Amino acid sequence: MAIARRAQLVSMVILATAIYASAEVRKEFRFTVGPRSVISITNQYGPISVKPGVGTQVIVTAVLHSDQVEVDHTQSGNRVDILSHLLSQTDADTGRVDYEVSVPADASVAMRSSTGLLHAEGLHGDVTLEGSQANVEVRDIANAHVHVRTLNGSVSLNNIRNGHVEVTSVGGDVVLNAVNGPLVQVNSTSGKIHYEGDFGSSGEYMLTSHSGDIEASAPTDASFDVTARSVRGKVENDFLLEPKHTPFVVRAGSAFAGTMNKAASSVRLFSFSGKIHLKKR
Amino acid sequence: MNCTEFQEILPEVFEAGRTAEQAAHLKSCPRCSGLLADLDLIAREARQLQELAEPSPRVWNSIEIELRREGVIHELPGGPVVAPRARSWNLGAWLAPVAALVLVAFAIGVYQRGWLSPQSAPQLTATAPAQISNPQPAKNQPANQPANNEDQQLLAAVASRSPAMRAQYASNLQNVNAYIRDAEESAQADPNDEEAQQIVMDAYEQRAAVYEMALDRSLP
Repeated sequence: MAIARRAQLVSMVILATAIYASAEVRKEFRFTVGPRSVISITNQYGPISVKPGVGTQVIVTAVLHSDQVEVDHTQSGNRVDILSHLLSQTDADTGRVDYEVSVPADASVAMRSSTGLLHAEGLHGDVTLEGSQANVEVRDIANAHVHVRTLNGSVSLNNIRNGHVEVTSVGGDVVLNAVNGPLVQVNSTSGKIHYEGDFGSSGEYMLTSHSGDIEASAPTDASFDVTARSVRGKVENDFLLEPKHTPFVVRAGSAFAGTMNKAASSVRLFSFSGKIHLKKR
Repeated sequence: MNCTEFQEILPEVFEAGRTAEQAAHLKSCPRCSGLLADLDLIAREARQLQELAEPSPRVWNSIEIELRREGVIHELPGGPVVAPRARSWNLGAWLAPVAALVLVAFAIGVYQRGWLSPQSAPQLTATAPAQISNPQPAKNQPANQPANNEDQQLLAAVASRSPAMRAQYASNLQNVNAYIRDAEESAQADPNDEEAQQIVMDAYEQRAAVYEMALDRSLP
């Protein structure tokens, strides 16, 4: 009887320890910064979401999924660095930290994670997002640089106005919706590129892939000058373009070039084996 | 004294000499004596850096031109500001021993963590970082083969850190290498085609992205 009771007690202790070890821990860090602060968040495993807050506070809420990871944070003047610090042999579950960060809207933010979703919205400071497998979502950004780099993660940009946008994704699909600005550049090896918007009023748009398809969709009143070519893939164009001179030989079905309305923006679509389709919306 | 104990006090052994017990261990243990010999070699080679520490006047000149172009320094009425040579030599003089110490400390740290132990798989050669910083895909390499030497080294490094990621990196490298080959062929076919030249740079940028992600120590 005594042995059974002792075994029961040991089991309860083990169970309690296991529950304690696996429990999520929520931590909050606050930093006061000045105008145009610089915030950097590096997370090995897990998502990062950054949204605008009020005032001059940076508020970091971190949910740690085990005691095998901790959050290191430093502030040097206007610069705040947040880093998930893996303490020992960890994996994507035990090393995971979920970040929700609110920053002044004019802050420049750099975030990196290998697996989690990287999300930024409502900012007008520069935004840099990097991750190998991480999917990236950026929305409602104005007058800022948006730089994205992924290996296989997908990229979705929505409502980026007057942006300087550079996206490099080796294998992930890239979707741009209502994205405009002086420079919009997407470069992918095998991912598909989808653009939906009006190409702005005086920007340079370069969508390039090796084997991924490129589809761009614009309204009939969009004003642009376009060259599109696919070395081994097909090209399709739904617009009635004014012909223009090109520095290369235009072969029907594999390239087209021309202007639409006043040719305010320059659009270049290039692929080696992907299909290119310029669609009317 | 065993190997672990010896390696824990290796910095002191290296700097302050060895006790009889340590000497006895070194005599009986080829692994630790080999390690100490390697560290000696590194320290000797690093000292020779001192001879290379004085850059040529052309280097100072280039730096000065660049700084002036960027508006960091300005022409003074008495003539241009020239970097003081004596000071630069002093800098080199203390840089060399500091570099030697850093190298030795790094090597000890690396060894103690077992990163360079025979079991810890791939060893990048000393020249690897320079090669990796400007990786070139092999010419005429079949598209279905992953890689040249640099790629193999990179994949080995990825596999040692995260075995599950190796296949993904191999696949991405195959794809970017195919991209580069196509881009270069296209640019060579029409050297006047500016867009084709730009695409070559885009293709290399993709390759650089793969390498940088793979070598980024802050991410798994």
